[in-house]
Amino acid sequence: MLSAGLILFLAALQGVTELFPVSSLGHAVVVPPLIGLNFRETSPAFVPVLAILHLGTAAALLFLYRRDWARIIVGFFRAAVRGRISDPDERLAIMLIVGTVPTGIIGFLLQDPLKSLFGDPRAASVFLIVNGGILFAAEMFRRRDERRRATGGAQVLAHEEDDPAYERVEGLSLRTTVIVGVFQAGALLPGISRSGITMAAGLVAGLRHEEAARFSFLLATPIILAAGLLEVPTLGSDAPTLLVAVAAAVVAGLVAYASARFLLRYLRLGRLDPFAYYCAALGAAGLVLIH
Amino acid sequence: MRGSRPLSLLLLVLAVIFALAAVFYFTTKTSFLASGPPAIHFKHAIVFTVLTLLAVVAANFARPKSIQA
Repeated sequence: MLSAGLILFLAALQGVTELFPVSSLGHAVVVPPLIGLNFRETSPAFVPVLAILHLGTAAALLFLYRRDWARIIVGFFRAAVRGRISDPDERLAIMLIVGTVPTGIIGFLLQDPLKSLFGDPRAASVFLIVNGGILFAAEMFRRRDERRRATGGAQVLAHEEDDPAYERVEGLSLRTTVIVGVFQAGALLPGISRSGITMAAGLVAGLRHEEAARFSFLLATPIILAAGLLEVPTLGSDAPTLLVAVAAAVVAGLVAYASARFLLRYLRLGRLDPFAYYCAALGAAGLVLIH
Repeated sequence: MRGSRPLSLLLLVLAVIFALAAVFYFTTKTSFLASGPPAIHFKHAIVFTVLTLLAVVAANFARPKSIQA
């Protein structure tokens, strides 16, 4: 069984890295050997801990977007009963399902072969560098689009929220949502960030930065919640004590909530490049220092 | 979106298959499409239950709708 201190450290690490576009799984695989912790992601004792941390993170996301989720759930049942979409809430509900199903199915089918990668910090380091490349490429595409619009005579506004050229989540087509959902499956690889790859896909699809993050967090919630809930029946003798489990879930949830609030505020003006450089640097450090 | 009766029926057939798979995994110790020794696979059962519900909802979306006045 893992020590309470290590579990709380992993909870804080999970809370920050699950929502920042830097891959929580990649960090859980690469960071412990980098800082000399005797811990492996493949340890059987980690599965119940991870399930608890996922539940904490999912609770934070549900709380952050509680009003959206209330409207989405009501919208889903309305649309499901009528068999047609007639307002933005119903549309968003169906978009989230359409975007979640590909990752759910791919993850479920490939979970065993993918788990073999969890014990390989060097593979995770390579995927972290790839994740940095994805974030950087998404920002490059966005800048090119802004330059093209500027040379075409369109006014590019400093605040994206004022710029009609970039959309809110509700403006995405269902086809684009499926593509973003398939992209999200890439995050099953340790080192590829779920939030990073969906934010990148959202930016390329024409969302504002803040909306790309909102879409990413909304899409991530059912997957993170399911990842936690589906492991609950398998919790056995390796599970931490109730007190440690509750403390870990609370730490993961609080840190995730603060991270999400920070990221949403940052992305009103900021871009994903710093996260791209960070991922590339951590991946390079992992490749050089872990043998 | 215009409805399609064949697509709707196909999705309903899929829903029935998913439902049978869910019942199978809830009630039978098996290692079919699962790793490890034969056991009740709750994860598989829950996933197939969710897929059943989604297939029913999709069938409802795909069915032809009467034109409202």
